[in-house]
This record gives sequence, structure tokens and C-alpha cells, in this order.
Amino acid sequence: MAQPADLTLPEGYQLSNYRIVRNLSAGGFSTVYLAHDEGETPVAIKEYLPNGMVVRNGSMEVQANTPENLAPFRHGMKCFFEEGRTLAQINHPNVVRVENFFRANETVYLVMRYMRGRTLDFHIRANKQYFTESFMRRLFLSLLNGLREVHTHKLLHLDIKPANIYVTMDATPVLLDFGSARMTLNHDRPQLVPMYTKGFAAPEQYRGMAGLGPWTDIYSVGATMYSSLSGTPPQAADIREKEDQLTPAFDAWRGKFSDQLLLTIDRCLELDPLKRPQSVYALQKALLAYGSVLPPKSGLFGTLRRTLGRLGER
Amino acid sequence: MAARYEIFQESLIGGRKSNQDRVGYACANDTLLMIVADGMGGHLNGEIAAEIAVRVLIERFNREARIVLTSPAEFLRGALEAAHLAIGEYTRRHKLAEYPRTTCVACVVKQNIAYWCHAGDSRLYLLRNGRLYKRTSDHSRVQRMIDAGLIREEQALTHPDRNKIYSCLGGDQLPAISMSDGTALKDGDILLLCSDGLWGMLTSAEFEAAIAQESLKLALPKLIRKSNDLAAGQGDNLSVIALQWPGSVEKLEYIDSAVTMPAHFLTRPAGVPENRHNADDISDEEIERAIVEIQLAIQKLSK
Repeated sequence: MAQPADLTLPEGYQLSNYRIVRNLSAGGFSTVYLAHDEGETPVAIKEYLPNGMVVRNGSMEVQANTPENLAPFRHGMKCFFEEGRTLAQINHPNVVRVENFFRANETVYLVMRYMRGRTLDFHIRANKQYFTESFMRRLFLSLLNGLREVHTHKLLHLDIKPANIYVTMDATPVLLDFGSARMTLNHDRPQLVPMYTKGFAAPEQYRGMAGLGPWTDIYSVGATMYSSLSGTPPQAADIREKEDQLTPAFDAWRGKFSDQLLLTIDRCLELDPLKRPQSVYALQKALLAYGSVLPPKSGLFGTLRRTLGRLGER
Repeated sequence: MAARYEIFQESLIGGRKSNQDRVGYACANDTLLMIVADGMGGHLNGEIAAEIAVRVLIERFNREARIVLTSPAEFLRGALEAAHLAIGEYTRRHKLAEYPRTTCVACVVKQNIAYWCHAGDSRLYLLRNGRLYKRTSDHSRVQRMIDAGLIREEQALTHPDRNKIYSCLGGDQLPAISMSDGTALKDGDILLLCSDGLWGMLTSAEFEAAIAQESLKLALPKLIRKSNDLAAGQGDNLSVIALQWPGSVEKLEYIDSAVTMPAHFLTRPAGVPENRHNADDISDEEIERAIVEIQLAIQKLSK
């Protein structure tokens, strides 16, 4: 979604201790800039800038564009704080790190560590059908370490999708955009109209805030794994519930990947939350399952290795 | 003709792994609220209980004192009871295995009259002319023994049961809450609220001696340091909030001095509910507080 040009901060603009280099992306809720701090270290700065609700005056201050929009503007700011609060609690290599949070121009800013790399979405489009089994396992195991940290803090991400996963130059996946992670695990109180991305959102997300849990993020991880193989998002969950036309990963890629990996993906994509892996840890165990890394029908040698592996665990 | 008074606050972790003490204050119109809550370390989630207590008191104060606090004593009792219930509600909602618990001492100063109340062994001291004028009496086993003439005050400081208290917020029994009468403040009076990390190392005489000689601004940091040094790294969390009463006050304002924590320092453990009234509005004060909170969380993890 493009933002009218006059709303974004201009290049070279001095924002607190940071100098704006350029606009990286604009969403409905915020705009992200590449900027340099005083030591010329690049950072990503996210500005709270709800589209269609605000104007920017001559001194760069953000203001509600109508009196009626003042309350929603302030309320949205609260949600922006939730993202800051969430991320500030987490210091993990697979979760984007917040470095600063400040108020200026009558709005608020979240400063994040800037990493060189591309989103998984970009890699999927560039490398369609070239992901190997071991790459898939490594990437998602590592990503799940980050998600586990999020869940440990009693938070849900609720918008996991390839566009929100950054893959750095050394192939480390980093979970981005906690704009939806405003729901704590033990809250039953709806705080905002839920946002979700069709194809990646779990069926329970279409029904509001009730029944959400780690299994909700796990559905999205499954959908992300699925789309890493297919190149396109899986059928949206609300449509699947009416008429499920999603080809199971097991049927689509049998022989190219191990049965165990494909069945794991299909289990994550179960419409019934209870049939999915119930925790990140359970899913990680499935992705780690020894022996399953081997190609199917591995024969005697594989059996031996599996046996040795079991002996080695003692 | 606005007069000023100064609030001092400090909270040290001592030799513990976490700081389960919470300190807070708020003011509105001609009224001031100060609180110290000491989350009980022997119980799970002590800091959550302390956090809820301070938050509930400040929220209720902001709601009621904005209009006019007609009866500070009633307000205090009601607010402590509400905090106790809020801890219970939190325990049930989050299915905690055990009630988090906290002591609490709170004081309201309206015009020049001070009212206070407490549950547990966090204390309020009122010092006048360099002497101890009033102090709360702990809800503790050793205080009962002192009252019964079984032990002397100095013996209580090292008594094996010195940490056993019979009233606190949180838990399945209603807390015993002791209320003071309204006390008119005189020029130079010092009101000091603290957790046992501060008073637990010192007798009343030592306490008096430390405060008596100088202005609060100079004396308090020394007192804190002395307590902390005596504990030699083994000490409890140590928290204090204090003010020295000025002369004629028509309207209260405040300035912070000698603080190591910003005003409204309140960490929020994940899952502690935010205030529920006016869910859609956010005041400038809330914005500032949220920013401070987030910055502190960032700094804490960046070290």
C-alpha cells in the first residue's frame, strides 16, 4: 500500500540522533526508514503513521486529519507501544532487536537493528523449488527458536508469513513486524480489530480473539513452510473451512522431500487446532526427528544410523 | 503562589537476583500519594503482587483525587483492599499455583494533613525536629514479641523470625490494614516510607541519628548507603520514598531530586493488565510513561 509522498520524512531529515537515508517500506499502520545514527551505523526506524488518518504539517508534526480521527489515532499509538513493549523484552538472534524508542513530531518511533539481507518472501520468489530438505529444516528450526522466545514471553506473533521473516546474509532467519503481537497469551480481552494475512492466518483468527494460542502461530509457520515449497500462499483458511481444496504437502511433493517433513507441514496446517503440534517445542522436535533428515527408503544404512542415534542418546 | 516540595525515591536490588520492591507516587490538586510495596520473595511472583498494588493505588488515586479526595483515610483502606482483590483476580485469571503477595505502605497528604495505612512490615516514619515522632507498627511476629516485652527492638533485627509477617496483600485471607489518624504536618517534617531492606539493618536510634543532622537531601543517600553497606551484598531489596514538608503550601507541585529512577518508574511484567478504564484514550502522561518503560526494558537487555 503506497503512502502519499508528502507524508513520509524526506531524505536527509534529522530525526533526533538519526539521519533519514531513505524510505524502506510503507504499510497501513507505519512507515519504515533506513537511517544512520551519529556513528553512521545503519538502523531501521519505524514511524507510527496510520494511513488515511493523519497529515503532516510544515514542521513535520503528525496530526489527525479530522477531529473524529483523533481518538483512533491515539488508540493506534497504544498498539504501537505494544509492539515496542513486546520487542523490548526479547533479545534473541532470531527476533528483530529494538534499539530505541522515542517520541518526536507528535508521533512515536521504533528504532531497530538494521540487517543486510532479504525477506523470505523475496527468496521464495527468487529460488522457487530450489529449497532443499536440510535447508528447510535448518531455516525453520532456527526461526522457531525465535518464536519460542516470543511464546515464552506469553506473546503471540499472529502474523507470521514469508514477508515478515528476514533472512540475513549468513542465512539466519529473523522474525519481523510485531505489529500484531499485541495479544498476550493469557489475555482474553480483545484489544483491536485483528489483522491477518489471507493464506497464512489460522482459521481461528477469522473468528476473533477467542481460541488463539501457540497453535495459531504454528498454523502460520506451516503455511510459510508450504509456500516455501509451492511458491504461492496456501488456500485461505476461511475458504478451506467451506471447501478444502488445499493439496496436502504429502501429496504434492512426495518423493522430493521426506515423508516426515511433508506430514509435519500438513499437521501444522490442520484446520482443527487440536490436531496441530501444540507448542513450538513439539514442532521443533518433529523437525529435528533423527533419521527423518535422510531421504525416504534409506534402507539398512539408515536403520543402523537411527539405531546408533538412539543408543547415543543414552 | 505555588510552593514546592521535594520527593526523594530510591530502590536498590541489594544482594538479590531481582528487585521485587515497587515504589510509586502521584499527585493531583492539593493531594499527594506515596507508596512502597515489597513483593514477598518467599512466594512466587512477588514482584507481580507489588506491581499490581502500586498500579491499583495510583489508578484509583488518579480517578478519585482528580475530583477531590473527601476522605483520604477511607480512600486508602479502599485502595489497599482493591489491590488485594486485584491480586486475587490476577491469580485466578492466570491460574497461578500460588497467590503472589506483597506488603504495602501508603500515605496521602492532603493540604497539610497526612494519613497513612499499611499491611505487613514496610514502614512509614514521621520525623520531627530530628526525632522520631511516629512510625507504623509492623504486622510481624517479632513486633508482637516486642509489644509483649519478650524481646528488645535490637534483638528483633537478628531474630530468626524477623521476616515472618501476618498481614499482606494477596493470599486467601483478608489483610489486616492499620490506619493512622490524620496528622498535621509542621515545617521541616520528614515523611519516609520504606521496605525492610532499609530499616532492617538499623535500630530506631541509628535511623534517627542518620536523618537528624542534615537536610533530607543530604541525609537520605547516606542512610541508604549505610544500610546497603551493612548488608554487605547480602541484603534485601531496599526501597524508599520520602519528602520533607515545606512551609505554607497553597498548591502542590513537585520536583524530583536525587532520584535514580525516573518518576512513574513501574516495570510491567508480561501479562499484567494495563489500566482498564478509558481503554481508547491515552494521555500524554501515559505516552511518556510507556516510552520510559520501553526504553528501560531495552537498556536492561542491551547490557
